[in-house]
Amino acid sequence: MQNEELISKLKEIIAPYIQDEDAFKNLSENTDFVKDLKINSANLVDIILDIEDEFDIRLENEDMEKMLDVKAVMEIVNTKLAN
Amino acid sequence: MVGVDIIDIVETKKSSNWQRPRFLEKLFTLNEQQLIHDSKNPFIMVWQLWSMKEAAYKLYTQIQPCRFYNPKQFQCEINNANFKVTYKDFKCFVNTKISSQYILSEAHLEHREITSKCIKLLCSNYANQSQMIKEALLVSISNQFKVLKSKLKIVKSEFGIPSIYYNSKKLNVGISISHHGNYGAYAVSLS
Repeated sequence: MQNEELISKLKEIIAPYIQDEDAFKNLSENTDFVKDLKINSANLVDIILDIEDEFDIRLENEDMEKMLDVKAVMEIVNTKLAN
Repeated sequence: MVGVDIIDIVETKKSSNWQRPRFLEKLFTLNEQQLIHDSKNPFIMVWQLWSMKEAAYKLYTQIQPCRFYNPKQFQCEINNANFKVTYKDFKCFVNTKISSQYILSEAHLEHREITSKCIKLLCSNYANQSQMIKEALLVSISNQFKVLKSKLKIVKSEFGIPSIYYNSKKLNVGISISHHGNYGAYAVSLS
């Protein structure tokens, strides 16, 4: 999947959980879910479940452990989709 | 050192659905899922366990500065009134206070009484709320240690772990801050 396409899908998934509009508007690969978007840690699991549903993949504990920013999520999703 | 986590019950009902498929399996061990299943109030049990894990994580990352998302590996044990959380070879003791409005958990390395202060946030903007909690914490430290509030500063590390500074010097005082929905909590620890 093209990076722009992936980022725009991720933006849609993340949108309901963000608590910082400005950081969301400027979302890039370097955006951090907690530090920048102020997403509550309990909602990180919702994002993970939404990603699983959207891309029809399963994320393990080792994957989840790193999923703190957009870049890490993109890497993990791309790896899963390639397998 | 101390780790604190607060959960706003109204906010949680709005923003999380613990009954969605695979939610419990992602966050909770089989033992914890059993506790939830057996509980008279599964909603409260889910979020009590969650807040215990969060408080323990906040304590752990003060000892091992890092960031990661692995709530399932922070394993809760509830035996009578004795609440423990373990992660690898780390172990801590957690006190939980449950009101009709919030669930508050406080983690220590030893058995301690709960000392966290809880604040109801009257404004609704997230950044302003966050500021209010920090302000309340600074007032509390200023009173407790008889120092000028204007010289105190809360600084977060690259891992998001807060410390307290006086005149640009880091104080040997443990702090922990939590914010969720319309509630905030903080704790101060001398050891």
